[in-house]
Amino acid sequence: MELGLLAEAVRGFRLIKRGAESEVRLGAFLGLPAIYKHRLPKPYMHPRLAQVLARQRSVREAKIILKARAARVPAPRLYAIFPTLSLIVMEYIEGETLKEVAERERGLAVSLAHEAGRIVAMLHEAGIAHGDPTTSNFIFSHGELRVIDFGLSDFTADIEDLAVDVHLFRRAVESAHAHIAKDMYSSFLKGYASVREADAVIRRAEEIRLRGRYVEERRTVWGRR
Amino acid sequence: MIVLGIESTAHTFGIGIVDERLRVLADVRKQYAPKSGGILPREVAPFFSRSAAQALREALEEARISVREVDAVAVALGPGMGPQLRVGASVARALASHYAKPLVPVNHAVAHIEVARWSTGLKDPIALYVAGGNTAVISYAEERYRVFGETLDIPLGNLLDTFAREVGIAPPYVKGGKHAVDICAEGGDFLEGMPYVVKGQDSSFSGLLTAALRMVERGARLSDVCFTLREIAYSSVVEVLERGLALTGKREVVLTGGVAASSLLNEKISLMASLHGAAFRPIPREYSGDNGVMIALTGVAALKWGQTVSPSEALVRQRWRIDQVKIPWYYEFPW
Repeated sequence: MELGLLAEAVRGFRLIKRGAESEVRLGAFLGLPAIYKHRLPKPYMHPRLAQVLARQRSVREAKIILKARAARVPAPRLYAIFPTLSLIVMEYIEGETLKEVAERERGLAVSLAHEAGRIVAMLHEAGIAHGDPTTSNFIFSHGELRVIDFGLSDFTADIEDLAVDVHLFRRAVESAHAHIAKDMYSSFLKGYASVREADAVIRRAEEIRLRGRYVEERRTVWGRR
Repeated sequence: MIVLGIESTAHTFGIGIVDERLRVLADVRKQYAPKSGGILPREVAPFFSRSAAQALREALEEARISVREVDAVAVALGPGMGPQLRVGASVARALASHYAKPLVPVNHAVAHIEVARWSTGLKDPIALYVAGGNTAVISYAEERYRVFGETLDIPLGNLLDTFAREVGIAPPYVKGGKHAVDICAEGGDFLEGMPYVVKGQDSSFSGLLTAALRMVERGARLSDVCFTLREIAYSSVVEVLERGLALTGKREVVLTGGVAASSLLNEKISLMASLHGAAFRPIPREYSGDNGVMIALTGVAALKWGQTVSPSEALVRQRWRIDQVKIPWYYEFPW
């Protein structure tokens, strides 16, 4: 019953983003500006699938944020979690997304990509794969790059999962910022390598790319064509 | 200007004839349907060779033109299966050199998107391209179609076909316009415990295939497994599409490729699009699967922008990626 009232109150907060994953509202928590991230069951999924995914993803996200913060990753501070509502309350990070910066200021975007690489590497050191490290999920706030949206993150040390992160960052800059993709990606890799051993992960990321359908230089059983 | 397009990448040998105003003058298809097993190139290619001349005759008759009135020959040179591609390429090269017509190379995946833009009137969409050999979320940026996300292992159509074949409900893979898995899913319920895998912008289906086959082995009701397999597979590609929509900021959505004939997948995308205030229109069923019209349509545009090739250079490219092609006509097409 109280949870119903809470859900009602959250709906009163200002909607600042309806993402692919969730509704994000800006409200207050104990007097602090706070993000209320409410995972909605996706209306295009079977209700049971949608409900299970929403709850699982909220709980996992909260656990991952805690672990990331403990590893000094500049993730948002976690304030509260309500699993049955698929609701997380966390710090509000004000600023511009890396995507917006990339559209505006090439040089800054390239240097922030280095920081993004560092952040992803720190997550990997903490045993976390972000799962969706696109340029929309880094925020340049008060001179510092922060990372958000751990909705698809996972606890893992599997090199495949880590390499998927690197692959996804590359894919994101190639699809959304084609004109500076090369510079951003190489800056990202340098940042990554400044924190942890990068060669194996980069090699695997390249393999993942080549595994995609119809890459011409894809490796085959007969060797590289 | 009249362009004749030849499609032969997988199971359909198609000839389409289209004029400069993008009106369809002919649409002939010879489709290979295996009696058992899957699409084996060594069986399909000879079928294409046997069907090609007849398809060409029928198409010219349907368009009421002679081959001399054709202004250019467009051909899908890839991506696709080599032996089949070579049949279409041989026919195209022969026509182009014998009748001295320009030869226009067309990327099969580009053509699937162009036919979707042409038939839905949605001019700047993010596209979900799902077929037996492809699963990708694609949108245009800076001169090319870019792959936003794709399958990390098997394509969605391949997942459905392989599952259907393994549990003995196919071939035929499609009956009365419905896939065997769709028919089998009727009356099914959702089963817990099958893996749902979306990695950022990419999907993965190999684990789902294994889990579904194992459930059948363990005695789960087949209709429930079909229902759940389809539900998870479709939901995950729609979720990748949804992320693409959010990241690219596009306002329109199209679905194309063989699996675009699925009414359930269309429903899911329609729901997703309306959630984000984006426009979605389903592609007419006749243009979802492989056809020659889409090659001819793309050929008209490519020809207008001077993309031709000499017959000696018109070689098939089995792994021709969509982002290797420049699309200078993007903002003009369809006119």
